[in-house]
Amino acid sequence: MDLVMLLNYGIAFFTLFVVNVFILIFLEHRDHYKERPKDTGKRPIVSVIIPAYNEGLYIANCLKTVLALDYPADKLDIIVVDDGSKDGTYKIAKGFESANADASPSLRVFTKKNGGKGAALNFGIDLARGEFIATMDADSYLSPGVVNELLPLFDEDDVMAVTPAVKVKPNGSWLQEFQRVEYLLILFSRKLLSFIDSVPVTPGPFSMFRAKVFGEVGRFDEDNLVEDQEIALRIQAANYKIRSSMSAEVYTEPPDNMKDLLKQRIRWQRGGFRNYWKYRHLMKPEYGDFGMYFVPLNFATITAFFIMLGLLINSYISTPYYTKYIWAESFGLGIGLFTFIGAFVFITSTYFLYLAVKSFPEEKVKLRYILAFIFFYWFLSIGYNTLFVYKEFRKEATSW
Amino acid sequence: MERKVSFSLYAWAFFISLIIFAVGVFIGFTLDSSNLDRISSTLGDTSSRLSSLQLLILMEGNTSAFCPVFTSQLDDIDKQVEKTGYELSYLEDQKGVTDPELKKSYFVQEAESYLLSKKVKSLCGDKSVLLINFYSNTNCTRCKDEGTQILQARDSLESAGFHMKLFSFDGDLGSPVADAFKTEFNVTGYPSVVIDEKLYPGYSDQSQLQQLVKARG
Repeated sequence: MDLVMLLNYGIAFFTLFVVNVFILIFLEHRDHYKERPKDTGKRPIVSVIIPAYNEGLYIANCLKTVLALDYPADKLDIIVVDDGSKDGTYKIAKGFESANADASPSLRVFTKKNGGKGAALNFGIDLARGEFIATMDADSYLSPGVVNELLPLFDEDDVMAVTPAVKVKPNGSWLQEFQRVEYLLILFSRKLLSFIDSVPVTPGPFSMFRAKVFGEVGRFDEDNLVEDQEIALRIQAANYKIRSSMSAEVYTEPPDNMKDLLKQRIRWQRGGFRNYWKYRHLMKPEYGDFGMYFVPLNFATITAFFIMLGLLINSYISTPYYTKYIWAESFGLGIGLFTFIGAFVFITSTYFLYLAVKSFPEEKVKLRYILAFIFFYWFLSIGYNTLFVYKEFRKEATSW
Repeated sequence: MERKVSFSLYAWAFFISLIIFAVGVFIGFTLDSSNLDRISSTLGDTSSRLSSLQLLILMEGNTSAFCPVFTSQLDDIDKQVEKTGYELSYLEDQKGVTDPELKKSYFVQEAESYLLSKKVKSLCGDKSVLLINFYSNTNCTRCKDEGTQILQARDSLESAGFHMKLFSFDGDLGSPVADAFKTEFNVTGYPSVVIDEKLYPGYSDQSQLQQLVKARG
């Protein structure tokens, strides 16, 4: 058996294995993965920190939804940290502060010299009064019940963070509609990962933490490209739990053009890869499934991706010249093991996607976007995975 | 928290993947085997057609009156033989599926086709150029490329009005027919090309091949 054949078999088996792990987790928890935790009735003080840089278009809408949270107003501590915006974000937020001066909940607006999202979050953490701290993006908005939905998930002392159901805002562009499907898939996968204590990120659009966790594992990494992932890895490294909710809805504004999407994904990939490399020491049995499955899976996936890309290119280059004389027959001759495995992986992945979308019937995702996601959007990953490695190798400067 | 590794989860996922993989391998082998059966059956059909044509040439081979029948029949058969060769090569190159005995049968058919082509050429004044490519799948780094060069040269020459018939023999397969041809043309290394019974040892690119064919034609 030659190397190409061996690699093909290896990739096929790896893909099957990963898909099967997810399907088995789903089957084990299918009856209760959508269960909502019971409200404990406790209403501790919750600080909501909103770092904002040039978010003039969105900050007002964001603050309206935060102020409208279905949570006792005197238990909410809202902090806006303007990170040196140049578009009037601070002024708009200050307007809300003034209008809210004599009312609850408490809204405080600060401005500071631009230092990045991590620094703005840490600025807010230092001022926070809550037992729990929620961090959120200024271009996100919240469903009224989000805090009530998330708090009961802190049902054990070692649960240090909880993630909501981050969804894409409705009525977006076609590119945002693709991302709606993707976000549901991510959300569904994250829920399944939570069953093996392997949630790898506390999403920037909204996440809740026990305030004390920042004292124990440190605050946000101010020089990180994906600080919301880095803090989650640090929490995992301290052997604390991160829970995931399917019902606490938060809406975000994803990129609406290819250029911004590419930029965002390359940042995620570069930051993500660096973070997993930084935390590669977690690949030990004492870190459970996270250390023995999830962290290695990330390295294996990126390796598998490039092997697959290489195999595809090799298959194109090495297609014999004579194939053009028997192109019709070659379809039949080509059917075999990989066609079968490929079909199985395709069917199970599509089923998995269907389950993810079906888990959120309120989202009313159109079939055409699901199909376009399968046959077009997934292939975008070839572009940004290749670009991220290219940029990492060239040691190109990184930025938000 | 106390962490655990879900060994049973991974063991089950591995086991299920293994079963699916095994089913895939079984289906793959079944399909490959059915492809080889189909090619074998095609070889049988072509062999019958070749025998009929041989008989016809034997009976009417001293007159050129039947030449249009001979050439058109032989062209058809040659095309089928060539296509069968590509199918065998595709299975071998792309999927690693080999059946040495089937390949040897194919070489016998190629030899019959070549000999008939030679006969028709002399009997009917057919201007087709007969090219034999001797290659080795085990002992030759440039043989695959030589095969491509020959096909590309043939495509260019066809558009310039030259008609070529191609025959290929794996000289290291242990086929008695291939060995006989090697002996006849003194082939000692790979790749080697025989154009209208003249040996050109070593690698030739498509432009060299075109010149050689034009010189012969």
